[in-house]
Amino acid sequence: MKTKLEAIKNAAMEEIKTINTPAAMEEFRVKYLGKKGELTAILKMMGSLTPEERPIMGQLANEVRSAIDALITEKSADIKNAEKIKKMKEETLDITLPGVKKEIGKLHPINTVLDDMIDIFQSMGFDVVDGPEVETDRYNFELLNVPADHPARDMQDTFYLAENLLLRTQTSATQIRTMEQRKPPIRMICPGRVFRADEVDATHSPVFHQVEGLVVDEGITMCDLKGVLEQFAHEIYGPETKVKFRPSFFPFTEPSVEVDVSCSECGGKGCRVCKGSGWIEILGAGMVHPKVLAGCGIDPEKYSGFAFGIGLDRLTTTRYKISDIRLLFENDKRFLKQF
Amino acid sequence: MKISLEQLKYYVDIPVDVNTLCDKMVMAGFEVEEIINLADTMQNVVAAKILKITPHENSDHLQICQMDVGAAEPVQIVTGADNVFEGALVPAALHDSHLPNGMHIKKGKLRGVESNGMLCSGEELCLTDADYEGAGVNGILILKDEHPAGTDMREILHLNDYIIDFKITANRPDCNCVLGVAREVGVVLGTQFKAPVPKFETCGGDINDYISVDVKNYDLCPRYIGRFVKNLKIKESPDWLKRCIKASGMRPINNIVDITNFVMLETGQPMHAFDYRDIKGGKIIVRNATDGEKITTLDEKEHTLSSEMLVIADAENPSCLAGIMGGLNSEIKPDTADLFLESAKFKRDNVRRTGRTLGVRTESSGRFERGTDIMNTEYAMNRALQLIYDLDAGDIIDGTIDKNAGLPDERVLTVDANRINALLGVQIPFETMVTILNSLTIETVLNGDTLTCKIPSHRDDIEGMADLAEEVMRIYGYDHIVGTAMKGSVVRGKLLPERIKANAIKKLMNALGAYEITTYSFISSKAIDTLNLAENDERRNAIRLINPLGDEYSVMRTQLITSMLTVLSTNINRKNAGARFFEISKRFVPKSLPLTEQPLEIPTMSIGIYGSDEDFFTLKGIIEELVSSFDMKPAFERSSEPYLHPGRQAAAMANGEAVAVFGEVHPDVAANYAINDKVYVAEIRLDLLYSAEISQKIYKALPKFPAVTRDFAMLCDKEILVGTLCDTAEKAAGKLCEEVKLFDVYEGAQIPEGKKSVAISVTLRSSEATLTDSEIETVSNKIISKLEALGAELRK
Repeated sequence: MKTKLEAIKNAAMEEIKTINTPAAMEEFRVKYLGKKGELTAILKMMGSLTPEERPIMGQLANEVRSAIDALITEKSADIKNAEKIKKMKEETLDITLPGVKKEIGKLHPINTVLDDMIDIFQSMGFDVVDGPEVETDRYNFELLNVPADHPARDMQDTFYLAENLLLRTQTSATQIRTMEQRKPPIRMICPGRVFRADEVDATHSPVFHQVEGLVVDEGITMCDLKGVLEQFAHEIYGPETKVKFRPSFFPFTEPSVEVDVSCSECGGKGCRVCKGSGWIEILGAGMVHPKVLAGCGIDPEKYSGFAFGIGLDRLTTTRYKISDIRLLFENDKRFLKQF
Repeated sequence: MKISLEQLKYYVDIPVDVNTLCDKMVMAGFEVEEIINLADTMQNVVAAKILKITPHENSDHLQICQMDVGAAEPVQIVTGADNVFEGALVPAALHDSHLPNGMHIKKGKLRGVESNGMLCSGEELCLTDADYEGAGVNGILILKDEHPAGTDMREILHLNDYIIDFKITANRPDCNCVLGVAREVGVVLGTQFKAPVPKFETCGGDINDYISVDVKNYDLCPRYIGRFVKNLKIKESPDWLKRCIKASGMRPINNIVDITNFVMLETGQPMHAFDYRDIKGGKIIVRNATDGEKITTLDEKEHTLSSEMLVIADAENPSCLAGIMGGLNSEIKPDTADLFLESAKFKRDNVRRTGRTLGVRTESSGRFERGTDIMNTEYAMNRALQLIYDLDAGDIIDGTIDKNAGLPDERVLTVDANRINALLGVQIPFETMVTILNSLTIETVLNGDTLTCKIPSHRDDIEGMADLAEEVMRIYGYDHIVGTAMKGSVVRGKLLPERIKANAIKKLMNALGAYEITTYSFISSKAIDTLNLAENDERRNAIRLINPLGDEYSVMRTQLITSMLTVLSTNINRKNAGARFFEISKRFVPKSLPLTEQPLEIPTMSIGIYGSDEDFFTLKGIIEELVSSFDMKPAFERSSEPYLHPGRQAAAMANGEAVAVFGEVHPDVAANYAINDKVYVAEIRLDLLYSAEISQKIYKALPKFPAVTRDFAMLCDKEILVGTLCDTAEKAAGKLCEEVKLFDVYEGAQIPEGKKSVAISVTLRSSEATLTDSEIETVSNKIISKLEALGAELRK
């Protein structure tokens, strides 16, 4: 009997090696351990043993049973594991298939750039204000030191709505409204739409956007103006950017300057973008004209200030290398998606 | 202002190359628009002498010329012209030469005979008789003067020159002339500026024997100077004079007209020449025109004048539009014998207004508009007389008529030099300021810290400290301005509440998949007709632009829908499969028309969506998200916008006002935009949203007890709104109600005519305990009975 038990054990150990499915495993279990299995059949013969032999054989039989049990447990785990691996292998995806996306809208590129600018100037203490798009001649011109029939009016072709009402040609009008409403210290920017009677082409639009900036306080200098614009240029174009002042003329600032930044494309060496000069003109600025301060009830002997006006559309087209300003107003989704 | 570099060098030393000059001028405030190198146009063309001419064996019109081109050996060139002769000096384009007409000449064979270039006609060198005498003949240009063979034609034609186009800013009218620019060049380069000193001789007589001048309006004409010249010799101007005029973009005409133009270009003072025999009564009267008076100007156009315009008249009629253009009747003619010459100052805004009204703008009016120097009138007159004298163009009669209402006193400004440095933020030594200002002809002395500056009459633009600061700085150099941080404490700048709210809306719209668009504020006057609006719809009261670029952009929009429809149409036509767009902008609503005061600018938002996934309810979902992000509980009601489908539109009402109106676009309206697909639009009153608060976020405890959901399926009349059913269920469920959700609406097969099947689910929850079966039962029964009261038949 002992031999038989040994034989069963050995046979089981041999056979289990060939098993690799859960079904075969079950068959195996029934074959050896089931009610009609080989071990049970042997145990049924226990009766024919002597009382002395019984506990020994019983123990032996139990040992064989637990050995086979252990084999089954171990092998089952292996099989399960193999099955799992196989299943996962079958589940392998072509990861080059496209991701499933939920469409997220975008801000208009002009406003993306504007938001960046607002953030920069807010951090320097500039409040963000608003002004009307339909302005009076007084706010758009006269209080900005451009009296009627002044040649400076030729600098801008104005759309008129009535004799003294027009579409503002510059956000500078809001400077005046701000200075009338607030007293120094003033730090503000005013982003907004402006209008000039320019025929539409790749670089001109009768509707465009400016960001006006104004600072009025005691002891404000032209070096402060440069400091603020350098900060702005570093944030927008990168920390290496240089800022250059060129003398110019605006009726409402004195001295007036055009402001160039070193070309971010070539770093100032000269390229197609900067037309070989190494510089790109980005805005006009200057110290607020004493007449403008006085016109708003601010004492020019006590206070000084600076103002600047940045063309937002130009900034947007250069940042994204947009070749035609008309694209900004066409609103083709394929265009808007890109920003 | 276009100026020839060679002419500029006549008045000021320029020891640097043209690019250095221009760079320095830019940094002093004179932007350079263009530098034209005249020499670029012609290369390798020389004056060559014809040594010998032999006939061509294979041609009866070609001739073979042996040319002395200044080289050791003669060069053979074949020509087809028949006006050449041995000994003639002609322009020869040598091998590999470029002509101004674009031709590139190379050597080659003409009917078997080698030709090492081409002899040139005046036309091939783009010359006319006005440029070089004889250039107009049909044939080779025969050079009139003696030049050594081999002389570069550019030298002979004065093409070794640059034309520099300076952009003169509106505050510097004194630089709309060569002398003004030359003065600045002298300052910028630190070299000597030499203005010509006019000298001439007169022939006796007395101008008062010939003519009288009466200025009726000194306000519009503060100074009028006249001189008289007899025995004119009208002829062509010398080449140098013609070249200067052409360099500045004007056309040579005859010596007298050319002199007046040259003096204007040189000094900035426009001059006018009258044919004396056409001045009736020997009287010049500077007066306002009478209403309806007529004048025919030099360009042969007739203008009807009005009383605020200034004319120079004779005893009978206007002879000249003051400062703008002369009259045809008194112009200088080839046989003009006696000349009355005018140099005057006219008030700039009046010249501007008259020019604008009549649509005339000339070199002269442009200068008067920007402002001329009253003291310069005399200098310009003398300069013109000097040229008349030097060019032997006539006999100058003694006497000057100088009518003025008093000449301005010299202006003196005193400024604390410390304030200049304080404004600029730099430390410019006061002595340096003095030097710079003096170099700019602003005579300045320093007493202690005080600068005393005599402002020359040509610098009307300098009125105070800031102007002097600019003068000093632009010459001292803006490179000295070094960025500094402003003094004062910095707190982060504030946004207006409207901008904060708009930003929140934009963020939400982006999250909902909508792209922001930007469109023009003005639209076509016809656009409003595309919306099916009633005749009396107030949105038809749009503000018109007085001077639009065209009808397409002629009225201020009173709504944002037409712009949105245009964008939707563009996208659909370009086969973009579907999109959500929104725009935040303004509507312009006049308080009255015609416009007398600023209109209301009402912040408004539009939404437009289309595509296979979109319908009325996806748009409604957007509106619900939008409105619920503000402290607002809107109710949806049917609306009646003419541009929307009558059965598929709604208004979100809050406090009795429609915050948003939205729906499917009426097919007729869509057709106006060539849209065949279904598109959905909304217009939202941001003014109402902005006056509400953004919903406050306060944490609500997460539920501790389970919820129970009960479904109610029912059959009811088609007309009963689902909204009513849901509201009823919600009310019936009372405070246990957590949510009421529609999950099915069905009409059609198996449903009786006029009925629909609706299924809603009601979620119940108590915050205090798990609901018992009997509690649920009670609420369910209440819901059922209320729904039945509406006429719904509950399906068990």
